[in-house]
Amino acid sequence: MNILESIIQALQSIRANTLRTVLTLLSISIGIFAIIGAGTAVNTLEGSFNSQLVAMGQNTFMIKRTSSIQIGNSWRKYRNRKDITYQQAKEFKYQMEGISLVSLHNETDGYTAKRGNFSTDPKVTLIGADENFFIVKNFVIETGRAFGLTEVTSSIPVVIIGNDLVVQLFNGENPLGQYITLKNQKFQVIGTLKTQGSMFGRSLDAQAVIPLTVFSRYHSDEWTSSIEITTKAYSKEQLAQAVDESIGVMRSLRNLKPWEDNTFEVETNESVSSQFASFSNYLQVFGLGSGLISLLAAGVGIMNIMLVSVKERTKEIGIRKAIGAKRSWILFQFIIEAITLCQLGGLIGIFFGVLAGQGLGSLISTEAAIPINWVIFSIVICTLMGLAFGSYPAWKAASLDPIEALRYE
Amino acid sequence: MSTPLIHIEHIARTYEMGGETVHALRDVSLDIHPNEYVALMGPSGSGKSTLMNILGCLDTPSSGVYTFKGLDVNEMTDDDLAEIRNKEIGFVFQTFNLLPRATALKNIELPLIYSGVSSEERKERAIKALEDVGLGDRMLHRPNELSGGQRQRVAAARALVTKPSIILADEPTGNLDTKTGIEIMKLFQDLWSKGNTVILVTHEEDIARHARRIIRIRDGKVESDTINPNPVTKFELP
Ligand SMILES: Nc1ncnc2c1ncn2[C@@H]1O[C@H](COP(=O)(O)OP(=O)(O)OP(=O)(O)O)[C@@H](O)[C@H]1O
Ligand SMILES: [Mg+2]
Repeated sequence: MNILESIIQALQSIRANTLRTVLTLLSISIGIFAIIGAGTAVNTLEGSFNSQLVAMGQNTFMIKRTSSIQIGNSWRKYRNRKDITYQQAKEFKYQMEGISLVSLHNETDGYTAKRGNFSTDPKVTLIGADENFFIVKNFVIETGRAFGLTEVTSSIPVVIIGNDLVVQLFNGENPLGQYITLKNQKFQVIGTLKTQGSMFGRSLDAQAVIPLTVFSRYHSDEWTSSIEITTKAYSKEQLAQAVDESIGVMRSLRNLKPWEDNTFEVETNESVSSQFASFSNYLQVFGLGSGLISLLAAGVGIMNIMLVSVKERTKEIGIRKAIGAKRSWILFQFIIEAITLCQLGGLIGIFFGVLAGQGLGSLISTEAAIPINWVIFSIVICTLMGLAFGSYPAWKAASLDPIEALRYE
Repeated sequence: MSTPLIHIEHIARTYEMGGETVHALRDVSLDIHPNEYVALMGPSGSGKSTLMNILGCLDTPSSGVYTFKGLDVNEMTDDDLAEIRNKEIGFVFQTFNLLPRATALKNIELPLIYSGVSSEERKERAIKALEDVGLGDRMLHRPNELSGGQRQRVAAARALVTKPSIILADEPTGNLDTKTGIEIMKLFQDLWSKGNTVILVTHEEDIARHARRIIRIRDGKVESDTINPNPVTKFELP
């Protein structure tokens, strides 16, 4: 029969049983929503994450106390790890000289910068860094200059500020040479950073970089937190060697016996992206799993609706059979009807899933990526659901005895 | 005489009802030839509808032989029977049995959909069939927007649109008043005079008088099977 007629029929039976149908469609929508929502989230995060990796640079790797992406109960593994102390880090930098460029830094969040009557939002990230930081971390100076080794070793209170501070504290004035206050200490502005925009919904321009030694002195309560070491190999070819070398140096600095595991994390571009991949798989599997469970429930609902529909339309089926509809016609009609129902629910789910993904995208101010593969997957799933859960009711309809069906009131 | 269109031999139909066997048909043998006009009569519960349903391939006998155009109906699958119902038999029911949500035209197109006729030809033939029963101006009406007589004419048009070998009508006037009943009977008379084969079930002697052959059934058996010596061809309101 023409598919169109079956689809129209399906829409009519939705109208006939609005509430029940809407509830069932809702559960399909929720299932598809979970799948598409997770898909969109993963795609969006991936896009954002990859651009971050590119910014980080190819030859760079980090040594930290804990991993930057933590899944499940990996915190247990890190709980007893000792901090990487400033002494250890300095020694590491010294031993790695000639092999690669090493930068040490530490940072804390939530600072308010002040200047006279001006003050910023309490969102400034205070970074304590050494002289290599700007090169290794790709922090580009817009105006003024970076601080050098002397300023670090002599603990000179100078600061290089991000664009948010320039805007919020200086109101068009030239900041160079002026003073700002960070946690009751005055710093002289010697440079400004090039605007970086935002990432994962956070401004990358609310930053102030001061010498690590000053940071350690003035933020001693935070000083317990571990130093992060960023190492830049001189070329891509030397990266693997530099990683091996640093692990060796770090192990000896932390007095590890040969049979003991590393008590620090080495993160290269690759290791971070594989960690991220496992995190996004986790999210995707979670979305898929919860989606499929709700689809299963929806399937039972669809079957119920279809069985009721077959029962209510027994007479109609009898009439159709009496004037010569073969089994296959009736089967086809009801299966198309079930598929139409599922697709309708699915489309609603896709719509809201993508919408939620867009919402997430704008929340972390990145472009939302619609997961085309998951959209196609959802459409296929809905079709299969219609087939799977519509078959039995359709078979029941097709097997009705024409005379008995005609007699049904 | 020509080869029979319908040949049944010692047909029986029983129903099992809570351990009891109901004999709806006991032992019926009949031949129906092309262009016959047969009235099937008998008291209520005598088995007329049961017989018509078997003849119309809607039901199958519990025992006995049924050949339609020389083909053994007992051997056929459900789909074969559906095809016979679709192409060879035009069934008119007492209760019309139209699809309530479909227009008159759609109702008439339905059997053509099942026989795979293209949509243009389908529409053309359905319009023609509707005009033939005098309802050319009611094409887009739904059944509940038509009178009983008009509904029955739509049902007749649906039965005729596939150009079947035989028209079976089970009390087609049973739900109609005398005047509209006569309209329907005129239609059958017309069809018969154009060469169609017609079997109809009726309670009313007045209606049976139009037929050329009258078969009376009692308790699931043929009581009498006679040629009507002087069939009435004129229709008058009593
Ligand atoms: N599905 C069924 N189950 C059980 N018994 C049935 C069934 N259909 C018919 N019968 C019985 O078979 C007998 C014949 O029924 P049928 O409908 O053929 O009678 P009829 O001659 O058409 O009667 P009427 O003039 O009232 O329509 C009746 O006794 C009826 O009770
Ligand atoms: Mg009857």
